[in-house]
Amino acid sequence: MKKMLAVLKREYLQTVRRKMFMIMTLLMPLLMAGAIFIPTLMIERGMGLKRIAVIDGSGQLRDAFFEPETKNEEADIELGAKRRDLPQQIATEYVPAANAKLDDTAKPYLERLKLDKGANKVDGVFLIPTDALTSPKAQLRYFSRSATDFVTQGRLSSRVNRAVQQYRLAKRGITANEADELLKDLDVESVQLSKTGEQKKGGAANFLVGFVLTALLIIPSFVYGLEIMRGIIQEKNDRVVEVLVSSMSPSELLVGKILGVAAVGLTQITVWFVMSTALGTYAGAMAAFGGMNVMQLLRPSTFIYFFIFFLLAYLTYVCVYAIGGAVCNSDREAQQLIAPITMLMMLPWFLMAGILTNPDSGLSVAFSLSPVFGPLTMYVRTLVAEPPMWHIAVSIAVSILTIAAFFWVTAKIFRVGILSYGKRPTIPELWRWLKVA
Amino acid sequence: MTDILAVRDVRKTFGVVRAVDGVSFTVRRGTITGLLGRNGAGKTTTIRMITGIFMPDSGSIEWHGGTDGRPFGDRIGYLPEERGLYKQMRVGELLLFLAEIKGCRPADVRGKVDGWLERFELTDKRNAKVEELSKGNQQKVQLIGTLLHDPDLIILDEPQSGLDPVNAVLVRNLLQDLRHEGKTILLSTHMMAEAEKMADELMLIHRGKVVLEGTLDEVRASFGKNTLHLEFDGDGAFLETLPQVRRASIVNNAAELSLAEGADPQDILREAMNRVRIRRFELAAPSLEQIFIEKVGEETLLHEEVAR
Repeated sequence: MKKMLAVLKREYLQTVRRKMFMIMTLLMPLLMAGAIFIPTLMIERGMGLKRIAVIDGSGQLRDAFFEPETKNEEADIELGAKRRDLPQQIATEYVPAANAKLDDTAKPYLERLKLDKGANKVDGVFLIPTDALTSPKAQLRYFSRSATDFVTQGRLSSRVNRAVQQYRLAKRGITANEADELLKDLDVESVQLSKTGEQKKGGAANFLVGFVLTALLIIPSFVYGLEIMRGIIQEKNDRVVEVLVSSMSPSELLVGKILGVAAVGLTQITVWFVMSTALGTYAGAMAAFGGMNVMQLLRPSTFIYFFIFFLLAYLTYVCVYAIGGAVCNSDREAQQLIAPITMLMMLPWFLMAGILTNPDSGLSVAFSLSPVFGPLTMYVRTLVAEPPMWHIAVSIAVSILTIAAFFWVTAKIFRVGILSYGKRPTIPELWRWLKVA
Repeated sequence: MTDILAVRDVRKTFGVVRAVDGVSFTVRRGTITGLLGRNGAGKTTTIRMITGIFMPDSGSIEWHGGTDGRPFGDRIGYLPEERGLYKQMRVGELLLFLAEIKGCRPADVRGKVDGWLERFELTDKRNAKVEELSKGNQQKVQLIGTLLHDPDLIILDEPQSGLDPVNAVLVRNLLQDLRHEGKTILLSTHMMAEAEKMADELMLIHRGKVVLEGTLDEVRASFGKNTLHLEFDGDGAFLETLPQVRRASIVNNAAELSLAEGADPQDILREAMNRVRIRRFELAAPSLEQIFIEKVGEETLLHEEVAR
């Protein structure tokens, strides 16, 4: 026990003093903050200016692209009309073409689309056919250099469609104001209703915060798992392991190492929580500005579950990495071995969008109750939904059993593998180690 | 003197390789026992079984050192063959850690660390990282780590490797001092001259088996006084070709000649006087190196011929 503590202490102090720990501790929250604030900023500030030429074959849809206050301006060509509600600013160059052939009018603009830079360059050309207002079969066309500019395309088409609808209604004697009223969309307020009847605002913010917290839960496990693996390999290469194993049992050594690095992980997330509490006020204010209340998601239970599932996830993954370290002789060899296993263990992370949006689906429940994937998935479920208590209990129990089993296997493989300097063992050899050790 | 350790018929096989094949010996308290053998003879595997790193496939290792409440492992100080140090750690911290994993309280050994560092002229390296030290200094740090917890049995695997002559003497004297303090030392080496200078008892391991054991005197006596030690000026190459000489090892101006059965040393002296100027002529027991080659070399040569 004393020796185990000595290993724990050494492991902890050596890791905490490393530059990597400092960088991780400071950088991760910045990255996470970036993940929250950059989309907000993008919505706020836009992603840059897009110049779009609108060729209007009907000649009557100018109003759809300009705010009423710009109506009185003389010029038909209008640059720099800004739309705050668009994800990027769109400067529209409006070209009425009611009396000309649409394709002929469009030609010079399509040429300008091919330019790489310069004042004449346009980012897109939007064609409204002559029969747009009269024929339900009329087709709008949008030309752009990038195939993925569906945001701009969607914005433009919804503007035109709104105008077309208004025109059709006007034909039936409904005034523009009446039409606006008739066509008005209703807002959806998303509310999460808890079992106790407590109501909370939900929606996109929860989705984002879910992602961030899950990342904070899982990333340290992998980073420090790799640390343990590399540490073990280094001890093998430096032959320190001979001194260690002649002084204590391999299990003592293994427990000391794992708990030492676990303490590092806990230190790190404690620092993060302190930082985020300080940042919380600001983040809350920022989010409230966008009409969402992030803090309501961060209940006390969020933190309690975070610590529980952090530890469970951490111990599960770290055992796997310790085996990697015990059976490999070089970092490179170990990376190759562990990469596919890491991908498998991260499966819930890749399915995160699905789990976040359907936390009570069959798949989510299955994942949350299964070994290895359990801690991460269950944490997400407690975050965005209210899974039944027995689900949580079963998940924790399954994880503890998994960790116990992994630990047993790891200790055995560790016993033999830590002193084998030759080539990496094959699966049948590993199996023999398990039976022999 | 009583035995502190008894190794009884231990065997260890790795795959098809029999690394240790029925080795038995005892280590007497207060002696330096030399474990000799070529590289790969089974010395390190034997030591790893004694230190509990490997379990023997069969046989037993018995500790007779009495008990002072410390577990067996904590009463051994083990210096592995290759450096076993955390390169990133500072010398002082590392030494405290090494004592801690042997069950010492850091507070109790702090003073000792200072004393040892001074003795090895490493005081100014106390806060240096291990990786910044020379190979010789790393070896000295490792040796301190082996001794800090005041072990009863000190097991050293090739302790002289990487040391310059001055440090080699320092270590040799240290081992003698430790023996006088009543410590027991098991010393594994392939350097026969070192073993000859230090060891009280010898154990020669070859191909996983003990082929020779006893005190240095016993071992030598068993080979009789059938070796000529010559020092001379001139070209001594002819000595090898004399019919009375069974085997010769000639280095510069010194020769060690194993005599053939019934050979008269006087004949050799007469012959040699005609050709070179003799500075030393002594009929004595063979050196350990000769014994080693006699015991191991011929067999090895034979094996290699059979293999061919």
